[in-house]
Amino acid sequence: MLTQQIINGLMLGAIYMLVAVAFTLAIGVLNFLNFSIPGLFMLGGVATFGFLKMGWPFLLAAAGALFIAALVSLLVERLAYRRMKEGDADVPLVSSLGFLVLLENLVLIRYGSDQQAFPALFPDMNLRVGGLVIGIVQLVSMAISLGLVAWLSWFLRTTNAGRRIRTVAENRETAMLMGINIERLVPQLFVCSALLAALAGLLFAINYQQVTPFMGEGIGFKAVAAMIIGGMGSIWGAVIGGLLIGLAEVLSVSFIGADVVNITVYGLLLVILILRPQGLLGRPPAREKL
Amino acid sequence: MALLEVSAIEVNYGRVTALSGVDLTVNEGEIVTVLGANGAGKSTLLRAILGAVPLKAGGIRFSGADITRAPTHSRIASGLVLVPEGRRILISLSVEENLQLGAHMRTDTTRVKAEIDAIYQRFPNLAERRHMLASCLSGGEQQMLAIGRAMLAKPRLMMLDEPSLGLSPLFVSKLFDLIKELNRDGLSILLVEQNTGKALGVAHQATVLELGRVVMAGDPKALAADPRLQQAYLGEGTPSH
Repeated sequence: MLTQQIINGLMLGAIYMLVAVAFTLAIGVLNFLNFSIPGLFMLGGVATFGFLKMGWPFLLAAAGALFIAALVSLLVERLAYRRMKEGDADVPLVSSLGFLVLLENLVLIRYGSDQQAFPALFPDMNLRVGGLVIGIVQLVSMAISLGLVAWLSWFLRTTNAGRRIRTVAENRETAMLMGINIERLVPQLFVCSALLAALAGLLFAINYQQVTPFMGEGIGFKAVAAMIIGGMGSIWGAVIGGLLIGLAEVLSVSFIGADVVNITVYGLLLVILILRPQGLLGRPPAREKL
Repeated sequence: MALLEVSAIEVNYGRVTALSGVDLTVNEGEIVTVLGANGAGKSTLLRAILGAVPLKAGGIRFSGADITRAPTHSRIASGLVLVPEGRRILISLSVEENLQLGAHMRTDTTRVKAEIDAIYQRFPNLAERRHMLASCLSGGEQQMLAIGRAMLAKPRLMMLDEPSLGLSPLFVSKLFDLIKELNRDGLSILLVEQNTGKALGVAHQATVLELGRVVMAGDPKALAADPRLQQAYLGEGTPSH
């Protein structure tokens, strides 16, 4: 029973993890708490749902949804981030929140506020190991999520593009003086973080077979909590934070009760922040040294 | 042959004129030094040449091409490279990653690896700490790293902004030896310095800026003997700062 719940928790955690990584890219490199990310998560699920309803095959519907999320993210960059970046850092945060509300309400107009049933796309195959039941679809989703994040971490650590991104994260002006084309790199990062969020939304829809216009909100806030628990700007921190929150949520539902989920999750956040204010893998704020 | 030609450039910061009517030429294989007190516009001149601040007027040619409107990254790709003031080492990257960053636009990875090894041979201190964060280096080592990083960008003209600032006398001598050595290997250098004596000692041409204008230019030996420069920058008579 406990092992089963741990497996379920890790699978939910993998979804939080993807969204947390999307957030951590935006805040770590662009210093931008991008609240359109929960909206892009929702688009990943809802747009796939819409395309499937139009009769598109699954892969095309999924690709279409990711494409739309990337486009919307470029719009957020153009309209919310680029125009405001000279000013107060809180301004793009609020305007990105505006995008979240806009996206939710556009979907609300199209599909209504009710929960829609996302079709079961794959035959319900399970692995039975001992007394455990592991869904193949869940397992594949988790493998995709972890593989993608591991690849991203490798990419940031070892490629020229990764070093460019880390340089922009540390100091934008130095990056410019080193010949890094920031005007091109920033939109690329927005696309990257949109794809992570939308993929998470798609995996959520497939695994839990439901979409609603507001599905991004709860997940989004827990992903922000996961990012903070792990340490802002740290990819592996987001991974650990995401999995921890997934576990805490599932375990508290099954052992304490569904109505204490938020208390457990945000209580965990609080405790970790008291014990380790920079997050589990976060570094204490680095100072510029001459 | 002129490698870099700056003609009559003007740069404003808001209403303040930072540079006005500045001309400067660096010929292939030369060391040119730009001198002047704090706030004379020396760093602004280097930033303008790199395209990091916009020009109000004037033009810049590099290696025969008009680069007045070229973006910074394409100027650097064409071999115009800056070692910025304060070195601007990336402290969240390792020593080696800082070097690799210098080559971030290059695709000839095997050449880059060989050049990084050559830099380690030249600066054994960097080799020892290659996998440590660059923040663990001393000021002098950071300056060597900044120059190494710039060398990996395949410069044809290396611009150095106050490289001796904050270094111990020993490192200052090492630095100027290195500058001479790089120049002997064929690199053209544009050197902004507060250490007037050392800079005039290595330069083939010198230019003195004052409040954003060129007030003296020419042969460094003649300038070194000029009483006006003596008075303003060599500390004989009234120091200017």
